[in-house]
Amino acid sequence: MKKHLSILLVCILVFGLLAAGCGSKPASTAPATTAPATTAPAEAKTDIVIALQGEPTTLDPQFPDDGNMRVVTWQVFEPLFKIDAATLQAVPCLATEAKVVDDSTWQFPIREGVKWHDGTPFTAEDAAYSINRIIDPAFGSQILSDVSTITGAKVGDDGKSIIVSTNGADPILLKRLTKLDMVQKAFYEGKKTEEVTKLAMGTGPYVFKSWEQGKQIEVEAFADYWGDKPVITKGTFRFIEEPVTRLFALKTNEINVAVNMYPEYAADMPKIFTEVGLETYWVRFNQFAGVMKDKNVRLAANYALDLQGLSDALFLGYAAPCQGQMGRAGYFGYNDSLSDYGYDPAKAAELLKTAGYNGEEVELLSERGRWLKDGELTEAIAAQLAEAGFNVTTKFVSWNEWLDTLFDKAKTPDMQYSSTSNEFFDMDRTYSALVASSGTQAGLNNPEYDKIIADARIEMDPVKREQMYKDLAAKLHDDPFAMYLLVLNDLHGGSENLNWAPRQDSRIYLSEMSFS
Amino acid sequence: MGMSKYIAQRLLFTLFVVLGISILIFFITHIVGNPVDIMLPLQATDAERLALTQALGLDRPILEQLWTFLSDFAVGDFGMSWWQNRPCMEVIMDRLPISMWLILLASIISVVCAIPLGIVAAYRPGSALDRVVTIFSTAGICFPPFWIGLMLMLIFAVKLGWLPTSGMGTWKHLVLPAVTISFRPMGHLAQIVRFEMIQQLNALYAVTARAKGVTEMSLLFKHALKNIMTASLTMIGNDYCKQLGGLSAAVEVVFGFAGFGHLISETIENMDFPLLQAEVFFVAIIVCLINLLTDILYAAFDPRIRY
Repeated sequence: MKKHLSILLVCILVFGLLAAGCGSKPASTAPATTAPATTAPAEAKTDIVIALQGEPTTLDPQFPDDGNMRVVTWQVFEPLFKIDAATLQAVPCLATEAKVVDDSTWQFPIREGVKWHDGTPFTAEDAAYSINRIIDPAFGSQILSDVSTITGAKVGDDGKSIIVSTNGADPILLKRLTKLDMVQKAFYEGKKTEEVTKLAMGTGPYVFKSWEQGKQIEVEAFADYWGDKPVITKGTFRFIEEPVTRLFALKTNEINVAVNMYPEYAADMPKIFTEVGLETYWVRFNQFAGVMKDKNVRLAANYALDLQGLSDALFLGYAAPCQGQMGRAGYFGYNDSLSDYGYDPAKAAELLKTAGYNGEEVELLSERGRWLKDGELTEAIAAQLAEAGFNVTTKFVSWNEWLDTLFDKAKTPDMQYSSTSNEFFDMDRTYSALVASSGTQAGLNNPEYDKIIADARIEMDPVKREQMYKDLAAKLHDDPFAMYLLVLNDLHGGSENLNWAPRQDSRIYLSEMSFS
Repeated sequence: MGMSKYIAQRLLFTLFVVLGISILIFFITHIVGNPVDIMLPLQATDAERLALTQALGLDRPILEQLWTFLSDFAVGDFGMSWWQNRPCMEVIMDRLPISMWLILLASIISVVCAIPLGIVAAYRPGSALDRVVTIFSTAGICFPPFWIGLMLMLIFAVKLGWLPTSGMGTWKHLVLPAVTISFRPMGHLAQIVRFEMIQQLNALYAVTARAKGVTEMSLLFKHALKNIMTASLTMIGNDYCKQLGGLSAAVEVVFGFAGFGHLISETIENMDFPLLQAEVFFVAIIVCLINLLTDILYAAFDPRIRY
């Protein structure tokens, strides 16, 4: 009996081994991840493999706040307006122009001759549906805040345009629309977002072909695309979270583009692709209570920092010092006449003396791992503040706790390290979130600033509006609400024969890539 | 007590364990932070945060939430993943089986390597060979798996070009992650086998067997090996459960392998309560079943054990 049981166990083990082999076998018959598409070696490659930092959660472009998904959906879907990479202004895409009917009503003629990937024409009805879908609270879009001024859309009387209503004057509506991808009414209507998770029907230059869970997503050039035909005909997106692995995969030619690489790996990358990015690092001051209420202390903190030194040491130069304000040149309302405070610890010490600072403890709260080098930068800032005479205590907390202190005004620490991005390239986005007292991340309550921000928000004259932000930037330079730190570069690695110029709006388009 | 009665008892016990763990994880996840803050962008307004809180039912009394959670669990409804916005069951089924195969493969590699290594070391304790095995097994336990993974990737993918660096799809993609995961259990098992084998070879029955003329090979493989299997089985089962419960996450991340460990780390990062609860449920079930299987296998190797 015992012997039989032993034989049985051996059989189970052998079966297990065989089954393990079988388990991996079906996958081995799947098409190779990086099978070359070109047959003629003399011709330039037309297929590309891009490694993302993670797998998208869905391909419904209107639902999540998911950076990995965006890189895929940017190829497949298009909005009514898109950002011009050179000017950072909104330019027509699936709409042909923008007509202001009144303060809260706009009319957008729809581009003719555009086809969905199933061959049917893109209509004004589709455009109106796309807008009404994302603003429906029941839909629960995670990017609703980007389009929250829109109250509705309907097809115009001519049947070839749409009428969009807003809850008041909204000078940045066109930029909001750059984040609102058009989806086909017939395909998406009546379906919950979870039903279209792994499907995509757009008008973009690439058609969604397949999504093999955990492995890759494939797109192919759309033959009937209304715009210029792309050189790259096939795109494969792989998901590699670890940057060292992305580097190794790049070196072995398994992939052609590795997005968001660390500066340390730049020297090992076959080719570096970099452009100024969207993230601005900053440290919020608590002006509700404590020593940071004093303007001189806040100024002292800014004079205490060697921003260029921090950029060189931690980011190997792939970050630009803020010029005494948030954001960077090119943003609407950015004040070009302002400059960096300059590294001046003596002046910082003098300002502290003027403020009557007596070594009271100042807490610098931060977290690790959310943004590139956030922990290291926090420690370096603390060291430079201490050199200037601050009695700084750094406190690192979990992401949850960090969020809690960011949003709960009662818990605001003296200083809180943070990062903000501005995908509208308009200072409204920065000031209304970080400076206006109603802003979720504001550490101050200043009625004068509140009024400027509120007035600028509904000012339809671009010249006047721009000046309002420039004036506000000057005020916030003299009386800083934060330590304005660094604007990070986007840094990608690519194959040596890849031709590509990364965009200032950080969007990645396969249609702008080619191989030599 | 008959074997079937014992299994029934153990399965009933498993249910209680899973229920207890589910309630525990429910409370832990609800006190660690606010998932709404994590799900929405930083610039989302307070009104949007409130709307999502209500949509997820997080504004309801916690006991009411617990009741809903348990009654849904009772009928096998794990709910929707907040982060992936699709059924938790579907998300788990996409990732769990592939990890179970990967870790099984790693376990097989570790057993195949560790048992001979342990026996060789035990046969001449204190010899140079024994020391080499001890250093190797200690290194397997001590070196961080992600580092071992990167080194193997550098050698076999970047330098030699034999295997892909990362990804999934073919048997080649399984080799490096499986070998990397196998290092730690291999180290543990080799040390257990060595220790147990030394005990067996010095036991009275071994002395008697040698006196009766039994060859060393026969003593080793016919008698001693069977006697060390209970301890080894415990170790193998235990390591499998640990790897599946999340220890393999670092290796899966390094190799871009969309497995269950990787999923657990992503779930925690995104504070996806329903998905985390479902994952814990599955891990608890699997751990209980593997423990049960280990107990049953004990009886096959040790005639003194009867249920």
